[in-house]
Amino acid sequence: MADESILTDEFLRQLIDVGEADVLVGVPTYNNAATVGQVVQAIRAGLLKYFPRERAVIVNADGGSRDSTSDLVRGASINDLQHSTDLKALRTLHSISAEYAGGPATGTALRTILASAELLRVSACAVVSPESTTIEPEWIERLLRPVYKGNYDFVTPLYRRHKFDGLLMSNLVYPMTRAFYGKRVREPYAAEFSFSGQLASHFLGQEIWTHEVGQTGTEIALTISAITGGFRLAQSFLGDKPRADARSADLVDAMRQTVGAMFWSLESNVSLWSANGQSQPIPTLCEGQEVTLEPLRINRKRLFDMFRSGVAELKPVLESILSPVTLSELQGIAALDEDNFAYGDELWARTVYEFAASYHKAVISRDHVVQALAPLYRGRAFTFLVQNREASAEQVEQNIEKFCLTCERLKPSLLEMWNGRK
Amino acid sequence: MPTPQDQFWYKDAIIYQVHVRTFFDSNGDGIGDFRGLAQKLDHLQELGVNAVWLMPFFPSPLRDDGYDIADYFSVHSSYGNLDDFKAFLQAAHDRGIRVIVELVLNHTSDQHPWFQESRKSRDNPKRNWYVWSDTDTKYKGVRIIFVDTELSNWAWDPVSKEYYWHRFFSHQPDLNYDNPAVREEMWVVMKFWAEMGVDGFRLDAIPYLVEREGTSCENLPETHAVMRDLRARLDNNYPGKMLLAEANQWPADLRAYFGEGDEFHMAFHFPLMPRMFMGLKLEDRKPITEILKQTPQIPSSCQWCLFLRNHDELTLEMVTDVERDYMYDQYAYDKHMRINVGIRRRLAPLLDNDRRRIELMNGMLMSLPGTPIVYYGDEIGMGDNVYLGDRNGVRTPMQWNGGWNAGFSTADPESLYSPLVLNPVYGYQAVNVESQKRFDHSLLCWMKRILKVRKANPVFGRGSIEFLYPANHRILAYMRQLEKESILVVNNLSSTAQAVELDLSRFKGNIPIEMFGRNIFPRVGDLPYLLTLGPYQFYWFRLRKI
Repeated sequence: MADESILTDEFLRQLIDVGEADVLVGVPTYNNAATVGQVVQAIRAGLLKYFPRERAVIVNADGGSRDSTSDLVRGASINDLQHSTDLKALRTLHSISAEYAGGPATGTALRTILASAELLRVSACAVVSPESTTIEPEWIERLLRPVYKGNYDFVTPLYRRHKFDGLLMSNLVYPMTRAFYGKRVREPYAAEFSFSGQLASHFLGQEIWTHEVGQTGTEIALTISAITGGFRLAQSFLGDKPRADARSADLVDAMRQTVGAMFWSLESNVSLWSANGQSQPIPTLCEGQEVTLEPLRINRKRLFDMFRSGVAELKPVLESILSPVTLSELQGIAALDEDNFAYGDELWARTVYEFAASYHKAVISRDHVVQALAPLYRGRAFTFLVQNREASAEQVEQNIEKFCLTCERLKPSLLEMWNGRK
Repeated sequence: MPTPQDQFWYKDAIIYQVHVRTFFDSNGDGIGDFRGLAQKLDHLQELGVNAVWLMPFFPSPLRDDGYDIADYFSVHSSYGNLDDFKAFLQAAHDRGIRVIVELVLNHTSDQHPWFQESRKSRDNPKRNWYVWSDTDTKYKGVRIIFVDTELSNWAWDPVSKEYYWHRFFSHQPDLNYDNPAVREEMWVVMKFWAEMGVDGFRLDAIPYLVEREGTSCENLPETHAVMRDLRARLDNNYPGKMLLAEANQWPADLRAYFGEGDEFHMAFHFPLMPRMFMGLKLEDRKPITEILKQTPQIPSSCQWCLFLRNHDELTLEMVTDVERDYMYDQYAYDKHMRINVGIRRRLAPLLDNDRRRIELMNGMLMSLPGTPIVYYGDEIGMGDNVYLGDRNGVRTPMQWNGGWNAGFSTADPESLYSPLVLNPVYGYQAVNVESQKRFDHSLLCWMKRILKVRKANPVFGRGSIEFLYPANHRILAYMRQLEKESILVVNNLSSTAQAVELDLSRFKGNIPIEMFGRNIFPRVGDLPYLLTLGPYQFYWFRLRKI
């Protein structure tokens, strides 16, 4: 491997063989043999159906899989060495795979894909999760078309989710991103998204790759970069989102990747987020039914217990992060029983802003700040589940919107704390 | 005089396709003729071709550019007479140029005396020389070829009050090859011209000779039987004469026309041509290698005929719907450029007059397995006129110089058989033989050079081909081999510079010698052989083990 290059010589050779391309679909993987075959076949079908004339390439950035992930990806190639004439493809389709250095890291994977997009001078690039087994060929069209033909630079997805799926997104990441940066990007931290070659180059040139955000949380950093860079945004409805295996052990990682990256981004974008007023919607393409109401089993009791124990155990930490008023209110609700407990919109928004300010001031280790928010988020999630237990899809959306507006309304308090006046 | 002993001469041939009408007018009547053609044989000799294919020059009402023959034993009066033809034939042979004439076996003009007799009454002795029916429902489902002009393969004859069968225009009734008298008469026709000394026959519209209910009426066994019979008679009486099939079919269907080496000597490879254009536009070798992989082996005595353009439209019958749409969008964005199921444009305009692409396409034409055909005027990059109707836009007068009527004729310009191409890019004042002869870097001079290299290396006409499959799909690379001779051909189909690594391990130790400049390239070693090619560049290397 050449010095200071994330691309191995072998991968570079593959890119040379691909040559300039029009569209690229990136698939970051690590031991995804169980699902990636199905995913790349859908990607290939989408490229053949919707981009038959374009020079297309599938790029797999692999974190060192020890299963057959890479072989499955490479198997999606269409070339003149294949003897099957079943595929009526107009042109060659390269499906290439590269193992990047340093072990699995979503940031490095995305960086590899971005670098490929830049080197191949693609007009549009999509990233697809290797675990998205609900993918349809239409996803490829819905992700790439707006960029390739619609002059958008960044397209995030809309999924059909259960009303309680993606709680971290609806109760924290979406409302806060929206409040900070003034754009209503419903899935700012998505497994699927697409971007223009111009945005790829812009993002590659950002100073994040030596920071932790460059390893984890890169997706949300890309969203924020697209917003702050003034790129044209849109969101496109894809379809069913496969439900994540929401083990509690993953929450801290998820917080680091989302909240950590979001807080980190505030540092370099003060002038932007401090000047933003009311948020603006972004165009929604290919609209569809976004919420389903099928039963979803969530252990609410466990959420509540973990919240309470977290508030108790983290008391010294919370004292250094939260204002006395907020801490007092928090401790007050923590003393309530399950039936009377409610972590309301305003208190939750204030909590997050105070965490953001503490992250900025580094009152304790920034990573500890992010970690400490996890148990509090569980309390908020519990409240959301309870309050929306009988709610219709429309009511759930209204409640999320109400919370978003609360966040926007309270944002000036963050600026005051940021500037040390509070 | 070409050596008659060389029975496989057609394998080494480079054929020049020309219509006598288009080439040179010797008597100032505005129409090219045989005397004129004979006067211009020096041009063909200098170009380096060694065979000429003449499009139909027989008496005809010319409603289909001579493919509607009214007399198989004579010459259309506009082009001269039989003596003129004989003089031309002798002059061509004197220059080592063989002559291939075109026979239309499938049909005649409705003005042919045979048809005039046939339509007189239902009991006329010539009635059974054509395919008649009292209903137009026979052979239902058989495709119509000229979809732009014909609604049915049957036409009503008001004279004898029956329908007659025609696969092409309704003024071209199909002959009835179930009638032994027809078969015998067509042999008499062939014999007439073979006796005179022509070297081969290009037989038009071959798949359609015989009709059978419940079939596509194409490629029928009975049609092959007719051809085997003609071939046997030709071989027995005139050894060394060549038969070339025009059968616009898929390779698997075409294969049958070679038989066991007992039908045609050569056949056009129709599906390859559009895929060469497609591969170039896609910058991807896949269309080309795929069709050649589907191309069956043919008997060792047989040969494919390759071409880039000809007098017809760039046919898109042998491509998929997706490919056809792509070709139309890329090469015929103006509706005037389209006709039937194809594109009526010449080579240079198809390639945006891009010299590099013109050279690359000719390079592939000359190096892929088969006998190449150069369409008249393409050696200087002549343009077309898509507004002339039918396919006349690619049949305009040859552009000899920048003077009166492009040096084609001394007639009044208004009396020419066709308007000249006049536009500033392709017009005769910009594109003509005389101006290109003055400069070594002209397309004409370049064509002379490549033909010279091709002719000097029989491996191109007779050798095997083996594709290399470098990972860079923009590179089309293949080995041509004949006995100890090995030639490596590398084509960059891309508009940008490309690097490619070729697996030449079998040729380790060989020294590649570039065949045009004769420069030596680094010896083939253990590592994949790295080459870089500029936009649309191609290399021919002779591999020498010294």
